[in-house]
Amino acid sequence: MANLEIRSVSKEFKTGKVLDRISLAADNGEIVAVFGPSGSGKTVLLRLIAGVEQPDEGTILLGGRDVTDRAPETRGVGMAFQNFALFPHMSAFDNVASALTAHKVPRDVIRAKVEKVAALLKIDHVLQHAPRELSNGQKQRTALARALVAEPKILLLDDPLRNVDAKLRYEMRLELPSLLKASGSTVLYVTQDYKEAMALGDRIAVLSDRNFAQIDRPAEIYRTPATLNVASLFGDPTINLMPVEPWTSSAGPKIGIGGAELSLPPGYGHMAGNACVLGLRAENILVEDMASPESLPVEVVAVTPLNERTLLLLRTDDGREILASEAGTNEAPRRHGPAFARFDAEAVLLFDPASGRRIVPQSA
Amino acid sequence: MEHVSLPERVVRGFLIALIVLFFLFPIFWIFLMSFQTNEDILRIPPSLFFTPTLSNYSALITGKLVSTAGTLDIAFMKNLWNSVLLSTASVFIALILGVPAAYAFARFKFRLGEDIAFTLLSFRFAPPLLVLLPLSLYFQQLGLTDTYIGLIWVYQLIALPLILWIVRGYFEDLSPDIEYAYRVAGHSWWRTFTRIAIPLAGPGIAAAGLLAFIFCWNNFVFALILASAEKQPVTVGALAFVTASGIQYGQIAAAIVLSVAPTLALALYAQRYLVEGLSLGAVKG
Amino acid sequence: MSEAALSIKSVDKIYEGRGKGPVHAVKNLDMDVQRGEIVALLGSSGCGKTSTLRMIAGFEEVTHGDIVLEGRRVNQMPPARRKVAMAFEGYSLYPPLTVRDNIAFALKSARTSAKDVQKSVADVAHILEIEPILDRYPSSISGGEQQRASLARALVRQADLYLLDEPMGQLEPRLRAILRGRLKSLLVDRRMTAIFVTHDQTEANALADRVAVMEGGVLQQFASQKDLRERPANLFVATFVGEPPMNVFESKVVNADRVRFTIDNGPTFDFAASDIPPSVRAAIGRREKVVIGVRPHAVRLGVGSGDARIVSNQWLGDQSHLAMEVAGKLMVAVSHAPIPAKVGERLQFGVSALDLHVFDVGTSAALSHGLEAA
Repeated sequence: MANLEIRSVSKEFKTGKVLDRISLAADNGEIVAVFGPSGSGKTVLLRLIAGVEQPDEGTILLGGRDVTDRAPETRGVGMAFQNFALFPHMSAFDNVASALTAHKVPRDVIRAKVEKVAALLKIDHVLQHAPRELSNGQKQRTALARALVAEPKILLLDDPLRNVDAKLRYEMRLELPSLLKASGSTVLYVTQDYKEAMALGDRIAVLSDRNFAQIDRPAEIYRTPATLNVASLFGDPTINLMPVEPWTSSAGPKIGIGGAELSLPPGYGHMAGNACVLGLRAENILVEDMASPESLPVEVVAVTPLNERTLLLLRTDDGREILASEAGTNEAPRRHGPAFARFDAEAVLLFDPASGRRIVPQSA
Repeated sequence: MEHVSLPERVVRGFLIALIVLFFLFPIFWIFLMSFQTNEDILRIPPSLFFTPTLSNYSALITGKLVSTAGTLDIAFMKNLWNSVLLSTASVFIALILGVPAAYAFARFKFRLGEDIAFTLLSFRFAPPLLVLLPLSLYFQQLGLTDTYIGLIWVYQLIALPLILWIVRGYFEDLSPDIEYAYRVAGHSWWRTFTRIAIPLAGPGIAAAGLLAFIFCWNNFVFALILASAEKQPVTVGALAFVTASGIQYGQIAAAIVLSVAPTLALALYAQRYLVEGLSLGAVKG
Repeated sequence: MSEAALSIKSVDKIYEGRGKGPVHAVKNLDMDVQRGEIVALLGSSGCGKTSTLRMIAGFEEVTHGDIVLEGRRVNQMPPARRKVAMAFEGYSLYPPLTVRDNIAFALKSARTSAKDVQKSVADVAHILEIEPILDRYPSSISGGEQQRASLARALVRQADLYLLDEPMGQLEPRLRAILRGRLKSLLVDRRMTAIFVTHDQTEANALADRVAVMEGGVLQQFASQKDLRERPANLFVATFVGEPPMNVFESKVVNADRVRFTIDNGPTFDFAASDIPPSVRAAIGRREKVVIGVRPHAVRLGVGSGDARIVSNQWLGDQSHLAMEVAGKLMVAVSHAPIPAKVGERLQFGVSALDLHVFDVGTSAALSHGLEAA
């Protein structure tokens, strides 16, 4: 039985409908990353589950119980807000303890639990400080401690690393998974950073255009995105998208780009004659000095480093701009100028331009 | 980011001194007057030098005015007590009613919410004379004339709108997420209101209460019409010094000093919070 | 030698604190920006970068030192006279004017013809993708749109220097990447001299010719991104620039027939003296302790003298981030292929002399980078 389930939930505000009959089920102890662009309703979803907002339609079940109409204090969830939402007039200790004081827990038990969580999150030495005396990183960990201390079955984390500086954010990204797994809670983790979603989630629920476009394991979403939109949300730099129209040849389906003819895997044969959108990730393009079969002539226009990889801006003969990326940091200036680009045919993605859905290659 | 030249600074200082003089001079003069006898006050030309006397203050406190026409009983201390009672009680009740109402206006969006709030504020703008005649008729019918309860009730017209508007601004400035966090942590709505919302809006509530106190204390018209000598506050009580045997300026001055002293002291003590309270409620973001 | 567009000479900024004591926000800053150059002030919050920008603009007084714009000392000059255009972090659009009028406002004050004004507004709106909201009011547009409008307002003016305070902070990653490219083209095409403040390295790398890294009010290093990455001047720059951050460890060093680094409670890296150039050995000198650093992508997995337990293995689509427990800390290795190892398993790792950065323990200054002395 799923520990957390939302069925056909919708929510509308004066500005428009934010969530349209979405459904999701998370198992016990699972970490589900809820990922999407800003304004897509991720925070609203968490607030509906916490009970801070009411859905217009649909049901929310926690631990099998229908909690749709229950007040937040009865739902037994732990939540960490994006802007921390710490109580400014209480010490960090009292902030964390507030999750326990509601349930008539004896003082010594409270003290023990708070100190244990604080030690885990390395804020034990600042517990007596007021929130305004804490650094951003400490505030974030205090908010997290408050969510964790009562050992809730359901943990809702709303982009908790957003307001934290880059170095600490990376550190937490490494430490959080084991921390969350150890807690045993079912976790919904909201983020706008696809790398964070891939690093932390057992599954990722991609929220866009008022619904879940895809709910799957991270590697699957990256490799086989359900729609054009999902494909462009994952990957740095953004996936290259080119309109193409395949035709059939004796050697299988082919497409034309920049004056060259390139083969598609045979599974796409059924798309001949249809307008499609070709999706190709930067890391699946090889830039070489020599021509080879299936390579197209390009001009290397710009070379920039990006996170331990090198980004090459290529321009094809028909003026299209494509981004390729390679491992390593080789930016020798002689690389500007004419070159040849070869695609990894197996990694190619094809999308239907009207619906945005990915076209699945048919097996022979 | 000050690029202020010297002549500019001199002119500025001069203008400020002028304005300060303009506003504080009357208060200063009255303060002096309260230590002078009537003869000193009425002397022409007026002089800054005189032998100070405490006879005005003693007359007020003992309640007896000795003049050329005989002895007169003065109920000034009773008036002072009335002022304290009326202002304190009115503010207390206005807070009990107003703070939860301010919270409701700030947090819950109900139909016509903004319109109701504005209507309540408009009571501040309406001249009291507008309602005075009908009010005095109603009061007579209800038997509320010359009662503390009646006056406290009417004083809500002064105190409530003030408290509503200032405290609402404070509640609106509090991030709702802080209250949600407390509720998700397992606390009921009421505990959240008393443990989180009220303490955090504390400065605003105190400022509003203080301001309401000052305005209630200063009220003249309601007390004049709807109360008798027994229940009158100091604002009205000062009229008693206009006697048949002449106007006792010295006592009036002393009475004014004693009337103004409590509110002045309060305001000076809390001036920083007053300014904070008034402006914070107004400006958002 | 051409005149620098902006020269900051020994500038200090001290804020008189209320109750907490004075805050020394900027300490003895020396910086020259050439005409047409794009410079990023990079650092975490509170490092002094915004104070510096505001002093250049004229919104803060300089406590000591001089700000020289195009050869003129401008310390006492009010902002309006400095020929500087600034885009603020807090948007600051005039509420009663539409976006179009907001952008045009700066030009109208300069008495440009109506036709030119319209064209300039249209151009910059196209570049920043705000054409659809030109006739809306600031209160009705999103945070990201307000930010772009504010940016447009600064860029449309004719100024000697453009100052941008976190120009893309509110925008989501996809839009940010697109606009960065456009902004860079605009700045380069029109040969605008620009200084922008950011805490995002990717932004600094993408837009700037040179980056000034600041921390605690002190300029740490002012160089191209290549130099910041390959030759960081000190430990702060080394661990601040680059994601994931450089792995650093305190280690004992023996500088004799063999050059040996022994990490406390950790592995030992041993090199033949002939593999280490004399200049590097001289830089290390007779120190007994140093701090060594190696970038995540330079950690060799599967071979080497190190051996550690894997704490996490994250596949991010185009690269793997592996974290291992070394000397009580987490060491990160980046690989461009998935790594089959599981959490809890042990893995060998090593480091080549080419990739080793060495820093002084006390001053944190860099001693050597790979085979070059610092």
